[in-house]
Amino acid sequence: MSLRCVPWLVLGGVILALLAAFPLAASGYHLALGISVLYYTVLATAWALFSGPTRYISLATVAFFGIGAYTVAVVGEMLPWPLVLLTAAGVGTVIALIVGLSTLRLSGIYFVIFSFGLAELIRQLVTWYEVNIHKSVGRYIFLPITQEQIYWQLLALAVLVLLTGWLIGRSRLGLALRVIGEDETVARHVGIDTTWAKLALFAISAVFMTLTGAVMAPRWTYIDPSIAFNPMVSFQVVIMALLGGAGALFGPLLGVLPLVFLFEILSANFPNYFSILLGVVFIFVVYVLPHGVVGFLQKHWPKAKLAPFNATPAFVASAEPRGALLDVDAVSRNFGGLVAVDNMSFTIQPGEIVGLIGPNGSGKTTMLNLISGALVPSAGNIRFRGRDIAGKSPHTIARLGIARTFQLVRVLSSMTASENVIAGLAYRATPLWGAEAARHAAALLGKVGLADKAHLPADQLTYIDQKRLELARALALEPELLLLDEWLAGLNPTELGEGIALIQSLRDSGLTIIMVEHVMDAIRSLCGRCVVMNVGKKIADGPPATVLADPEVIRAYLGDSDA
Amino acid sequence: MALLFDILLSGLILGGMYALIAIGLTLQYGVARIMNLSYGEFLIVAAFSAFFVYSGLAMSPLLGLIVILPLAFAVNWLVYQILLTPLVRRAKNRDMLEVDSILATFGLLFVVQGILLVMFGGQYYSYSYLSVPVDIFGSVVAWNRLLALLVALAIGFVVYLLLTRTRQGTAIRAVAVNPVSAELCGINIGKAAAFAFALGGAIVASGGVLISMFLTFNAAMGVVFTMKALIVVIMGGVGNIMGALVAGLLLGIAETAVARLVDPGLTLAVTFALFIIVLLVRPTGLFGRPAR
Repeated sequence: MSLRCVPWLVLGGVILALLAAFPLAASGYHLALGISVLYYTVLATAWALFSGPTRYISLATVAFFGIGAYTVAVVGEMLPWPLVLLTAAGVGTVIALIVGLSTLRLSGIYFVIFSFGLAELIRQLVTWYEVNIHKSVGRYIFLPITQEQIYWQLLALAVLVLLTGWLIGRSRLGLALRVIGEDETVARHVGIDTTWAKLALFAISAVFMTLTGAVMAPRWTYIDPSIAFNPMVSFQVVIMALLGGAGALFGPLLGVLPLVFLFEILSANFPNYFSILLGVVFIFVVYVLPHGVVGFLQKHWPKAKLAPFNATPAFVASAEPRGALLDVDAVSRNFGGLVAVDNMSFTIQPGEIVGLIGPNGSGKTTMLNLISGALVPSAGNIRFRGRDIAGKSPHTIARLGIARTFQLVRVLSSMTASENVIAGLAYRATPLWGAEAARHAAALLGKVGLADKAHLPADQLTYIDQKRLELARALALEPELLLLDEWLAGLNPTELGEGIALIQSLRDSGLTIIMVEHVMDAIRSLCGRCVVMNVGKKIADGPPATVLADPEVIRAYLGDSDA
Repeated sequence: MALLFDILLSGLILGGMYALIAIGLTLQYGVARIMNLSYGEFLIVAAFSAFFVYSGLAMSPLLGLIVILPLAFAVNWLVYQILLTPLVRRAKNRDMLEVDSILATFGLLFVVQGILLVMFGGQYYSYSYLSVPVDIFGSVVAWNRLLALLVALAIGFVVYLLLTRTRQGTAIRAVAVNPVSAELCGINIGKAAAFAFALGGAIVASGGVLISMFLTFNAAMGVVFTMKALIVVIMGGVGNIMGALVAGLLLGIAETAVARLVDPGLTLAVTFALFIIVLLVRPTGLFGRPAR
């Protein structure tokens, strides 16, 4: 730990000690307010842990909070308190996993819809159970736990959730979630198992919410489903996290402090209009502070720019000379009645640059998508280094050593160039992290000519630089096979020359490349071989000069009369 | 056998309502790209309006439609223009608009619900209009339910004609498929989106009036209807009107079956179970069109 941290640690310790001593001096009213601040802090921070980076809005906070409270109501008197908390955490995890597994595999909107009704669903189920099996709607909780003890437990939880968030933010998981939030397709293609990452974080966030419910339960001596599963709690948590800023660790805290006091005043003075006022405050936050207080501060007082990393260009792509690197065997893919790729077969030898060419709509990008795992073949086999990869998920294929760029550039726009490349380093087969990843990222950026732009957000780069960045990210995976989807398209003549030289240098370092391309000069100067597609089928395969003179190829490009 | 027919008939009536309100939502989400979480609140507002028309003015709630529908159209048009257009302008892409619209309408949900709670409290309301029993093949149904189904069918048919036979409808369908291309064809997508949003609002209002004729309702029930409409839309495939119809009927029958045979308290659980099954088996919805 460096010396610079010491004052902060001391400051943190002093604040914590003061907060811990608060109940000794506070009146009942102030203690209650303190409890409110703490429990919303835990809930909002836990909410932002998951929803901040992934941008999946969870409307189900109270579902987990209520589960925690109900666990206490059911087993609170049977078990010692630590075991009660452990049980609550266990139940919360299981339910989070069930919800996550059924919805997080899919796009975000399903998750939002599901979470929207989850609290209501669990409330109905609990009510049904209580009425039909337990034979009474409510339960009494008589536990010898004082308000002070609740306060201290919540304080411990708050420290724990902030610490967890800090650790996740510095971990590979944290980066993975930010990449998912930016572009889930890219995330999969740099080797991130997106389902697992989302699921892990959702479960962590849910456990904190469940524990908060469990700790808070003894405050009520009587609970029933409508108390424990009050949708207002979910709503307040979302407002607080958004007001503060869900993107930063301490953001939610900035929202909790003013809003707890505001809600306190509102509910004391206008109890009947509380929901209306809450809605108005919420809409205000969405319109005026879309990125929260933290986003507002960052926009108006931007942090000093980070100095770029020192570049140490040293990059060697590994390539083992063996049999065919890639073997595409009778692969077809249809979309409904349309056959986009029809019985394609070809092999790629290590060290080759192969051009995949053909008129628009001939199925070239679909072919790349089949190799990179974005699409599953309807029939046929694809073997990479002798291993069958057809139908494997993109992140598995990426880790095996196939990297790609996209036809329409996909960079992680609000992350820096350096972070974009680190995303490629952190989840490959031999992952890099920390200082070493930063060094490697700098080297790769240097290689593609972006050494002095490492600290810029990707969306501030020019089109050619974004293309370079995408290439650096693909190279970060240390692939054996690189798939370039019209990487040279849209470049001006100077840039084109630079681009061709760059690809040439990759070939010289031993990388195998398949490039979909319309720029014939590039094909002629780079490719040793071309595979030509037309309406999904292979119509020619050989050296560029030969295939480009082939009558069938000319017919495919220009029509019958010119053949 | 009689029980089976009973379930089928009640399920069809309930399902017809679900299908109707889901068609409105699929217009709002599929065309205007607004994921409207306050959708169900407008249903409840319409239900209370119908209650007022019947109990306060002693008129048929169906006559009330003549005023309620244009009013709902106008209100929703204003909501889109005032509340949602800034978000549409601000959004860089569709995902951002989705997130922003979810948040904004989540706030609107609490505002509308709060106003309803202040005006009507939390208790349940109902009125008895045309609760004359009708015998259909041995099953007894109340006239009001049957009439609600018929009116729902008529409204659905008119909407279908509007979308497939008119210029404005064609524009709306074009925007649903591809807003960028639609704009290139000279369609004012802002106007089309506002119209679709308002039309969706009018449809859900008609659903509210019809539902109030035979179900009890209260100020807090909107969320459940939003939830069910969302699930029907996802099940049927976003933007797919026929899909919404089939999925709505399916949900109505499944719910009625569970309510009759197991326990009325578990209807939402059935909704969720169906939702999960569809997501696991056919993530693109029953009719194949991907959700995005």
